[in-house]
Amino acid sequence: MTKAKWMATFIALLVMATGAVQAQTAYKIGYLPSTVGQALTQAWRSGIEKTVKAQPNVTLQALDAQMKAEIQVTMMDDFINQGYNVIILQPIDAAALTASVKKAEGKGIHVITLNTDTILPHAACVTMDDTGAGYLVGETIGKSLNGKGNVAILQSPPGAQAGVEREKGFRAALGKLYPNIKIVGAQNAAWNKDKAIEIMNSFLQVNKELDAVFAVNDNMAEGAMIAAESAGRLGQIKIWGFNGQKSTLALIEQGKITGTAYTNAYSQGATAAKYALDLLSGAKKKGAKTEVIVVPPFAATKDTVAQIKAEDRW
Amino acid sequence: MSVSAIRRLILIGLLIAIGIALSIANPSFLTVDNLMTLLQEASLTGIVAIGFTLILITAGIDMSIGAVIAITSMICINFISYTQLPAYIYIPIALAMGCAIGWVNGFFITHFKLPEFIVTLATRGILAGLALIAAVKDSQGFVKNVFIQDEVFLAFGETVGPVYIVTIVFFVLAFCTQFFLKRTRAGTNVYATGANPTAARLSGINTDRTLIGVYMFSGFCAALTSIFLSARMMTAMPEFGIGSEMDVIASVIIGGTPFTGGVGDIWGTVIGTLFLALIKNGILKLGLSPYIQPIVIGGIIVVVVVLDVWYKDFAEKRAARSARQKQMQSKEGV
Repeated sequence: MTKAKWMATFIALLVMATGAVQAQTAYKIGYLPSTVGQALTQAWRSGIEKTVKAQPNVTLQALDAQMKAEIQVTMMDDFINQGYNVIILQPIDAAALTASVKKAEGKGIHVITLNTDTILPHAACVTMDDTGAGYLVGETIGKSLNGKGNVAILQSPPGAQAGVEREKGFRAALGKLYPNIKIVGAQNAAWNKDKAIEIMNSFLQVNKELDAVFAVNDNMAEGAMIAAESAGRLGQIKIWGFNGQKSTLALIEQGKITGTAYTNAYSQGATAAKYALDLLSGAKKKGAKTEVIVVPPFAATKDTVAQIKAEDRW
Repeated sequence: MSVSAIRRLILIGLLIAIGIALSIANPSFLTVDNLMTLLQEASLTGIVAIGFTLILITAGIDMSIGAVIAITSMICINFISYTQLPAYIYIPIALAMGCAIGWVNGFFITHFKLPEFIVTLATRGILAGLALIAAVKDSQGFVKNVFIQDEVFLAFGETVGPVYIVTIVFFVLAFCTQFFLKRTRAGTNVYATGANPTAARLSGINTDRTLIGVYMFSGFCAALTSIFLSARMMTAMPEFGIGSEMDVIASVIIGGTPFTGGVGDIWGTVIGTLFLALIKNGILKLGLSPYIQPIVIGGIIVVVVVLDVWYKDFAEKRAARSARQKQMQSKEGV
């Protein structure tokens, strides 16, 4: 009798212990942006870190894909082989990363994509509305030019989907609403400030009348600003960027850059991380289709930039 | 045992030591899945590195390998998107294209006596541009990366048992090339051309033909890699391979083939490629910040090369000393 009692107590303890262990299961989240060297991807990371920090049983590891799809695929394989539970991925290219995302999902690893959706379904995609925001910029520039003038575009590298979507949105707005605005040049400045200075200089030399420039990210907008300023034509040219990083917002306040399509990257990262934690705790179930969460853009100009709070600047 | 054999053993020893350290640091390193991925990575660099080893043996350099990968993957993707031709027709065309580019490189180097670096750098630029022009575009003229669904083509990215096909091809190609270099006359010609081109020419070796052949082989290897790469990623991108030259060069140099020509072999390159792939794979398992990772990789490479060179110096000095001693002894004997 006493023996049976002891046994029962022992088994009860064992069950409790395993229960406790189960509650403490360690989870691993991998963060794999296109590159770690940009304000945007760093802001995402701090958003993710802040959300994950509250969970002691979740560890976060970031890797740098160095802007190369081949390297990103290798790193995806690595997360998969190491048995990570969730991967937060900013695909460098939708088609190139689809196979990896499929492989991960096939092994029961949830993939949450940032900004670029891959072709086959996965857990979720937390995205800025690239096309929509590009459209918004196009609309705003068109209105401020009263529907006519010369516009140039600083492009992303060919095949970089996020940049291409932004440019498509921008061109769609001009084509539809302001057909009299002429796009006089579009060149690849590789997301990059120095390259943007070089290309903006050639735009300025070729086009004696240039009214506005749309750079598909803020780094390039800052480059365009430097070139226009040293040519003494900053006053006549409206410069728009994209993303809304801290340095660009400051330049907008100074009136040197006209505007940017701002997205709160902190909250975007946090949203992705929250989704990941919900998937792990079972609060959210994976659907048959990718759940797309759109973070709305905000046109930050000199008049509206004050609405962006200091803690939301990245 | 010869000095070069011992150097190789040191490298293998280091390879194993780092492997053991990594598997202690993170148990997921020593899983079949991970090791197979590691070998797959190594093979993708390694196939190009085999071709590149021959180039280095002739004291040349080929900067166009990355761009050859880009252009051949674009050729395949155009066939896939716009024609219904089966893979066994367009893959040989792509491989032939790789050889043709190598022929052009070799032709300019031998017939116009131009420096290899300039010729291949120029073809690199031209091919990278052509790859963008050849890329599949959407209706608005933006580059569109097509998701490949051709089953025959995708089979190149599959595995036989747990081993990726690319790994098998890599080792077979390594074996054949090593055999070619060491056991055939044409192979000996490659060494002779690199060690002393004038002497080689005077002794009746057609060095121009040897050089052109070597560049064609390098182009072929790059084209072959592009097919495995596209099959693995299920797409082709116009920037594929561009920038991968550095990994290839590093692998070959770690494997003990110097820039000066006349020396080197494929097994060294195989070990060098495995080494680089091991470090790059292992670094991801250590939980380091991505800012630190490239520094650690660079540091390990420096340590390995320093050890290697130090041993070579040491062995040469010892050989010289023992030769001197022998000489003295024989003098005393007289």
